[in-house]
Order: sequence, then structure tokens, then C-alpha cells
Amino acid sequence: MSQTLSKLAREQELPLEFADYHESIKITGFWIFLTTDLVLFSCLFATFAVMRYDYANGPTPLHLFHMTPLIVETALLLTSSFTCSLAIYQSRRQNKNGALSWLILTILLGMGFVGTEVHEFVSYVNSGATWHQSGFLSAFFTLVGTHGSHVTFGIFWALTLVAQLVQRGITPRTSRKLYTFALYWHFLDIVWVFIFSFVYLSNMTGGKMV
Amino acid sequence: MMADRFYPSHGTGAMNHIEIAENEDRIEIPVLAPHFSSHKFPWHQVFGYVFSMALTAIAFLLVINQMLPVASLVFVVIVLAVVQAAIQFGVFMHLRESRGMAWQMLVLGLGGFIALCVVAGSIWIMMFKSGVS
Repeated sequence: MSQTLSKLAREQELPLEFADYHESIKITGFWIFLTTDLVLFSCLFATFAVMRYDYANGPTPLHLFHMTPLIVETALLLTSSFTCSLAIYQSRRQNKNGALSWLILTILLGMGFVGTEVHEFVSYVNSGATWHQSGFLSAFFTLVGTHGSHVTFGIFWALTLVAQLVQRGITPRTSRKLYTFALYWHFLDIVWVFIFSFVYLSNMTGGKMV
Repeated sequence: MMADRFYPSHGTGAMNHIEIAENEDRIEIPVLAPHFSSHKFPWHQVFGYVFSMALTAIAFLLVINQMLPVASLVFVVIVLAVVQAAIQFGVFMHLRESRGMAWQMLVLGLGGFIALCVVAGSIWIMMFKSGVS
């Protein structure tokens, strides 16, 4: 099957970031980067799966994990994913201030997430649960820490986007940058869904699986 | 300039250029055809958010209240995560948006397959640990 639309007709109906040929290629390239990031996280998840019962007389998930910070982190990150998608929605409507407001809200929610996570990690370390303690803790800190550092990097990236949107407005280039940032941010949200399911909730059931 | 190739009206021999540009965007694999949606209100985003929050709340409530035996509890929580990931890829990440074919679906499928092999393979092989130690 081959559908050929008139190129000009198609460009008029495409969003800015896809209407520009070169920007659209960069979006495909970013998807390929995200796929490699997916493979990276899958290796860390596999390591955690292998090490998760190696407590070495250290704390177990039932001693360590608490629902409150987990619920706060999850709510913040899920909501930030939603606000980020609204930033894209507004940029497609050429609403610069709308896109900027939702992007700044996304950054604030992301900061809340990182702050809560740092607080959680510090409380673990203060109770003696460092990543030297056991295989479980090494795998836990590496996996969740890698995700947290991705989110931290994303916050700084988003701050540069705020500056560019303020200076240049919504152009093919800035809308593509906003779009790839949104892909990155939603991807981290999906990784977090697996972290709270597989790392936290699955190990807070009180029993041993596999 | 590369870009001129895709803007036929700017050069001479426009007919040739149009042909090249149309071939770039041809859809040979129907499953990878691009899809865009636009509404006056961000219904998709709101739907994605409500669905995500609902699935997350179900997973948390199941675990907090220990509503199932451990083995099935873990299974249900993982299934809920997979469903939520699928919704977020489709709704928030616009997986099907592309210019020409949505090649990212193919690339992401390969990445997902590798991830599944690495994680499920590790869990599977560790089930034999008690047999050898």
C-alpha cells in the first residue's frame, strides 16, 4: 500500500516540529536514544531482580520502604507527566505563555520529586542502609539513583528550554526541542511506574516471590 | 543546502524534486502509518492522566490492604504497570506521530524485546538457584 499526499498539503497539517524535515529527523533520532536508555534501565532492573533477596543481614524492603514518600513521589511524577503533555498541547496551538506555564509547573513538580527522593535516600543512609551494605541495597540505589539523576538532568534541560521559549518563541526548532524533552520526561515517568511496581510495591507484600 | 531539496518551488526542475520528496514520505508498511490527533480540549491528555492515576491507585490499594495472596498480588501489580506503560506511550508520548512512517514503533519494539529478554531471562534463570546452592 502506498499513500502519497501532496507534500505541501501535508506540511500544512503537520505540527511545526514535524513540518520541518530536519527537525522531524531529530525526533526519530531521539526515539532511538530513548530505546538505548530503555535497554540501560532493563539491565539495572535485571540486576535488581537477581540481587533483591541478598540482604546480607542488612535491612529488608519491609524495614526500609514506607508508603508516604512513595505515594508523594508517584503523585508528583505522574502529575508532572500530565502537565508536560499539556505544554506540548499549548505549543501546538502556538500559545507560548500556555506552553511556558505548563513547562514551569512540570519543572516544579520534578523538583518536588527529586527533593522527596533525596530526603528518602538520606534517611536510608542515616539509618545505616548504604549501598555498601548488601547486594539488595547496591542494586536498589543504582537503579533508583540512575532514574533520579535522569530526572535531575531533565530539570536542567527544561530550564534551558524555558529560556529559549522566552527568547525565541515557538519556532520549528524550539517546538522540536520541547517535543523531545516531553518524550524524555514521559519515558522517565514510565520507568518510574515500573520502579514503584517492581522495586517498591512487589517487595512490600510481606512474602517472597520466586 | 540539503534543505533546498525538500522545497521544490525554490529551485529549477521542480517536478523531479517533488517526486523525491513524495517518496521520502511514502507509507509502505500500513501499521507504521503516522497518526495525529488534535482537539479543542486536551481530552487525550486528561484521559491518560485519569487512567494513570486510577491504575496507580488500584496497585497501591491492593498492596496496602494485602487484598490478594502474595504471588498473584505481584503478578497483578506488574500487569497494571504494563497496561499503564502502554497507555502512556500511546497517549502522552504520541507513539504514532511521525512524518512518513513511524519508524520509532519498530525501534521501540526491538528495545522492548531486548528489555523483556534481559529482565524475564534473569528472573527465570534465578529460579534454578535453589537447585544448585
